[in-house]
Amino acid sequence: MRTPRRFFARLLNSVTRRRDNERLREEIEEHLALQTADNLRAGLSPSEARRQAVLRFGAMETIKEEYWSERGLVFIETLLQDLRFGWRSLHRSPGFTAAAVATLALGIGANTAIFSMVDTLLIRPLPVQHPLDLTFLVFPRDASHFDPEFSGPEFRQLQDQTRGVFSNVNAMILGGLSGPTGRADGLTVDAITQPAQTLFVSGEFFQMLGIRPSLGRFILPSEGNIPGGDPVVVLSYRYWKTRFRGDPGILGRAAYVNGRPVTIVGIAPKGFLGPTPLVDMEAYLPLSMMTVETAGNADFLTAIGTRQLLILARLAPGVNMERANVALASLGQQFAKQYPRPGEGTLQARPLRPPGLMNGPNPLPALAGLFLTLAGMVFALACLNVANLCLVRATDRQREMAVRAALGGSRIRLIRHLLGETILLTQFSAAAGIVAASFALQAVSSAVTATDLPIVFEFPFNFRVFLYTLGVAVLAAAVVGVFPALRISWGNLNNILHEGGRNLTGRGQRTRSVLVAVQVASSFALLIVAGLFVRSLQSAQHSDLGFDPMHVLNVALDPGEIGYSQIQATDFYRQLLSRTRVLPRVQSAGLALTVPLGDNTPSSEIMIPGRVPQRGEELRANFNAVSPDYFTTMSIAVLRGRDFLESDTESSSRVAVINEAMAQRFWHGLNPLGRSFKRNGDAQHTLEIIGVVRNSRAEDVYSPISPGFYVPLSQAYTSAQTLHVRTAGPPQAITSMVLAMVRELAPTTPVLSVRTMTDAVRNGPGGLLLFNLGAKLTAALGFLGLMLAVVGIYGVMTYAIGQRTQEIGVRMALGAQRRTILWMVSRQGLVIVGTGLAIGLVIAIGVGRLVAEFLVGIGPADPLTYTIVFILLCFIASAACFVPARRAVQVEPTVALRYE
Amino acid sequence: MRHKIDVQQGTLALMILKTLDVLGPLHGYGIARRIEQISGDLLAVNQGSLYPVLLRLEQEGAIASEWGPSDSNRRARFYRLTRAGHKLLLAETRDWEQTTSIIGRFFQVKAKDFS
Repeated sequence: MRTPRRFFARLLNSVTRRRDNERLREEIEEHLALQTADNLRAGLSPSEARRQAVLRFGAMETIKEEYWSERGLVFIETLLQDLRFGWRSLHRSPGFTAAAVATLALGIGANTAIFSMVDTLLIRPLPVQHPLDLTFLVFPRDASHFDPEFSGPEFRQLQDQTRGVFSNVNAMILGGLSGPTGRADGLTVDAITQPAQTLFVSGEFFQMLGIRPSLGRFILPSEGNIPGGDPVVVLSYRYWKTRFRGDPGILGRAAYVNGRPVTIVGIAPKGFLGPTPLVDMEAYLPLSMMTVETAGNADFLTAIGTRQLLILARLAPGVNMERANVALASLGQQFAKQYPRPGEGTLQARPLRPPGLMNGPNPLPALAGLFLTLAGMVFALACLNVANLCLVRATDRQREMAVRAALGGSRIRLIRHLLGETILLTQFSAAAGIVAASFALQAVSSAVTATDLPIVFEFPFNFRVFLYTLGVAVLAAAVVGVFPALRISWGNLNNILHEGGRNLTGRGQRTRSVLVAVQVASSFALLIVAGLFVRSLQSAQHSDLGFDPMHVLNVALDPGEIGYSQIQATDFYRQLLSRTRVLPRVQSAGLALTVPLGDNTPSSEIMIPGRVPQRGEELRANFNAVSPDYFTTMSIAVLRGRDFLESDTESSSRVAVINEAMAQRFWHGLNPLGRSFKRNGDAQHTLEIIGVVRNSRAEDVYSPISPGFYVPLSQAYTSAQTLHVRTAGPPQAITSMVLAMVRELAPTTPVLSVRTMTDAVRNGPGGLLLFNLGAKLTAALGFLGLMLAVVGIYGVMTYAIGQRTQEIGVRMALGAQRRTILWMVSRQGLVIVGTGLAIGLVIAIGVGRLVAEFLVGIGPADPLTYTIVFILLCFIASAACFVPARRAVQVEPTVALRYE
Repeated sequence: MRHKIDVQQGTLALMILKTLDVLGPLHGYGIARRIEQISGDLLAVNQGSLYPVLLRLEQEGAIASEWGPSDSNRRARFYRLTRAGHKLLLAETRDWEQTTSIIGRFFQVKAKDFS
């Protein structure tokens, strides 16, 4: 009780810097006065009375010291004192402070920015209760692929039979994505329709997550069992804010999803995007309302063979992942007999953590590692620069320090003075770095806009990021502070005082040289990586797409979102197409189900008569549904056979056009025309091959082109279609005319996106988006690194040559040639640069291996990249050496000799 | 000159508490004088070392202080025992008596007591 009270009193006094010196002084004064008076009364002379009083009081200073150390906490007081001292000394040299803070802020900012991205993509758990207990169920296929989809009957059986291990089992269907279109559903309010990414969830979904609606209610456990039976919708907070400006009156309002009436009953909490980390689920509906997408068909709930449900489950209290998986393994065997599915593998629960439901190899950890490494190198460069600056300062201040030490300042205390300065420096830098990082992140966020999915690429500042930044700052303080501190503890007091501040080039110079060599090396490695990414982007830009994106306008539409029937929609598209074709400057126009290099490339399993798939072989091909003239519009050459015609209708025989890859893969160069195949799940129709077209890129710009086929839209209806228009000249010119036509034909139908094909390629998720981002990020880091290295070399050379000014003067006075001296002083720098480059080469080759898997069209040892970076760095580094050297030899010998 | 003994750690605080308990509010000099008088000038204690101890007791809440007029009609800081200080004094007194009685017994011990 007493001890804590005393501690807090002292802490408070320390922080408030309360000293009460006045009180002690007054008390002492009074004490002495009283004692003197007593002494006088005892008969002493006035001066003796006073002297005796002081003697009896004891050693004044010691008592004051004791009093003060009792008053506050010595540790904190000296720390505050160090910080104050640091502040004063920084204040005295604003130039140094500004340079150091700016440099460190860049290093810390780069790291904070990269870590924020890594945090968002890999670490940040969902904002729900106990997010680490959430799992999703899969049948694994191989190391990285799995089969996450279940049928309605499977879901219900899982719910019943896993009560021991899961406290909650829920099913969900991602709206749009499960269908062939990959498009959002349409949400109509007040006769205005806009797309909304839907998520259909079973009744206990929100209960399982343990979150509260920010308004209204969630979907109830009783909802979601009767097909089409519970027409309610819950909106995401983001969607509600952006579309309805956060109007609370929206609750209870009538709305339509794809033309079917629903009621808005609630708003999800702020910051909750749904079960995936990046895509905002904008509207939640009960599972059974999936009928708004299937035109009333409820197979997804009842049919054994229709597997569309993704299953999320929460581990029961006290159950861990291993126990759950043991229980699931036996259940999985039973499932395999009861509901056979292709492939092997046992039922498993996986943690619902980033990358969550991502199927396929996950490149994110490797990318995260790469970028953290690069940012780390920038950070190292920044720290070394500032360490160098501090070292120079420490050398300049060596005499000051020696004098302090001679006057009795303990070595620890001196080092702590310096550390106070360093701590202040790094804290300022961390603050500035966070600001810089938030700007950089905003730039990255705004780069990711050209997708049809509501991707939320935002990086909120959170506790983890703060801790990381703090850690980085502490590391910076350690790196920056350690060199000057060591220097002081190495320094020999006597020598320094006697040498008069000269002859200090020895060890400090060597340390600085090593620092510069390291800087050149890391900068070299950084530039190599940046160069590789830029070259990779170039090669992707120049890769043959197989179609010509120039002068094509894409307009994505979906009258299904306002409830158009197939007949209405078909009629709408027919009129739109025929009217578009006669617009001025339009060369041709066509419709398609999907845009190449977009969010989603549909694929289908196929069956070829007379061909039995070998074990493990999957006959699969990408497909697209297109109108006549599509190939002309996209400039995809028809190599054999014919294009689709208006005469290919719903009632005529089923036809397909395949690409070269498909012809090669399944018919091995034989003439495929006239041959036929079937799509899985559509056994009654045989598709006859009537044409072969050139390979064109559909999924991405770098993988080998997969087999693919096209079917006529007239024989494969979908309400979501994209109008492609090829124009003479810039395609933006006809945008307004096309939009006016859409409004005229179907006034309320939403236009999902209007974009040129060039833009879609450049920024589409399958296009160059990632290459662009990668190249920009690495180039930014590489540039930062180069700048820091140049500043480092220049600074060290300037200082080193400055130290030799007198020597240069002597040499010149004795008749040395300018050129000889120039070579003499710059040689030292060049040796350092050369060493750095050699080390950098080794590092770069190592880092190159790390990035190899992200490169397209070039190898990690791309000779052009190495040559350019080598020459660039040689040139810039040499310039940084020569400039100060030239300046030194141009000084008149008489001036140099007098220089001190 | 008689041999003076050093003050043991902590006993000064106890002396202060007891003095304030018996005599009521006093200023620093007053306390120092009383301690000297009671100890019969046997203690080798600097008067000044009283003040850090007073501060500690105050920060612990055992005593409180305020300004008041001194005999010489100037300002002096007067210390008084708080309720917590009173309790502390009782506890410390008990401890002290216990300690002295134990130590006392040790000094009375003779070899034959153990045989």
